[in-house]
Amino acid sequence: MDESGTMSTPKRLWLLYSSFFRITALVVGGGLAMLPVIEEIFVVKRKLLTREELLDMTALTQTVPGIIAVNSAVYIGMKVAGVPGALAAVAGAFTPPFTVILIIASLFPRLDPHNRYLLGAFAGIRACVTGMILVTGARMFRRTVKTRLECAVVLIFFVLAILKVNPALLILAAIPFGWCYVWWQTRRLEQAAKSAGSEAETASNESASAGNGAGEDRS
Amino acid sequence: MTQYIVLFFQFCKFSVLCFGGGYMLIPLLTAEFVDREGVLTMDQFGNLLSVAQVTPGPVGLNTATYVGFVNGGFFGSLAASLGLIAPTIVIGCSAAAGIARWKDKFVVRGMLKGTRLAAVALIMFAVTIFFGMSIFTGAIPWESFGALFRLQRPVLPEGFGVSPSGVLICGTVIVLMVKSKLPTTVLLLGSAAAGALLSVFL
Repeated sequence: MDESGTMSTPKRLWLLYSSFFRITALVVGGGLAMLPVIEEIFVVKRKLLTREELLDMTALTQTVPGIIAVNSAVYIGMKVAGVPGALAAVAGAFTPPFTVILIIASLFPRLDPHNRYLLGAFAGIRACVTGMILVTGARMFRRTVKTRLECAVVLIFFVLAILKVNPALLILAAIPFGWCYVWWQTRRLEQAAKSAGSEAETASNESASAGNGAGEDRS
Repeated sequence: MTQYIVLFFQFCKFSVLCFGGGYMLIPLLTAEFVDREGVLTMDQFGNLLSVAQVTPGPVGLNTATYVGFVNGGFFGSLAASLGLIAPTIVIGCSAAAGIARWKDKFVVRGMLKGTRLAAVALIMFAVTIFFGMSIFTGAIPWESFGALFRLQRPVLPEGFGVSPSGVLICGTVIVLMVKSKLPTTVLLLGSAAAGALLSVFL
């Protein structure tokens, strides 16, 4: 915050509020779609963040729970003006969708439920969203699932979800599983490192691939 | 009053469990409001998600506002969307610096690994939910497939079939997303227009 040190706090808060207002008011699709806009405002124009900070933030907002857009607002707000900044940014992100959806939701029941064009348009959007989630899911699968064991785990979770196991339970169950898995992985790597000679090479290969696994956090 | 408090905490729960972005809300919300409480039908939920997708703003926040409205009007919306935001602010402000430093620590790494695998599985599940609302003309009848394990022919429920326009639009969107960098806004609006047009011919 060197160059931006000249900016007063109320000004910063207003900048945060108005920027996030604009971002959520204009960007359709949410989440990562707003990243380029954030970059333009906060990195290029105002120089309140560096590119590296933005990259760290992107990784972080995807790892902590919560919706990505609000996470980004909190982190950028914190970085630019502390806790008040976070609140201002979130308030800005919150206002437009809340207002727009309220208006639409109160009008929606009055729309003609038998209008074929309208029904067709909604069917079209649903089909589009199906494709979008499919592609997003496939990309996530490729980024996250590295070994056969992980693939099996994903399939088990998937089948359990189809069998109507509560998704909340699945997520909670995944946490201790993750601990066991990482513990087992580290131990295997350590053991491999201990064994001597020609095996040391394979171990270093393995640890390299484990390094890739950790690096995926950033993508 | 209590209904708003309940809504608030329900959405706090979703927010805390929502690893991996807004799409993760789909399985959580269907389990709670369609399957368990029955305040929404699958069809309503589909329309609601469509609205949340085409209106500007984060999909998760849009969906929360809408579900809150259906459950309890204006204050329902407020309770639901604030519920979705509150944990994020608390977690974010207290850990903004922390998590970056703990990222390589065992506890955080394990948690991320596990929840990420679950997130992939749940997004795959969300895809199957959406298949039932767009590609097929009804929810996927998993129960019928149970017959396959008994080496019988699965009996599909009445009215279950493939929607040609759904297949066409979904396929086009997938190809466009993979091959081009068209913004999602264009895809969504184009699909809405295509859906309205196709409803005349099909």
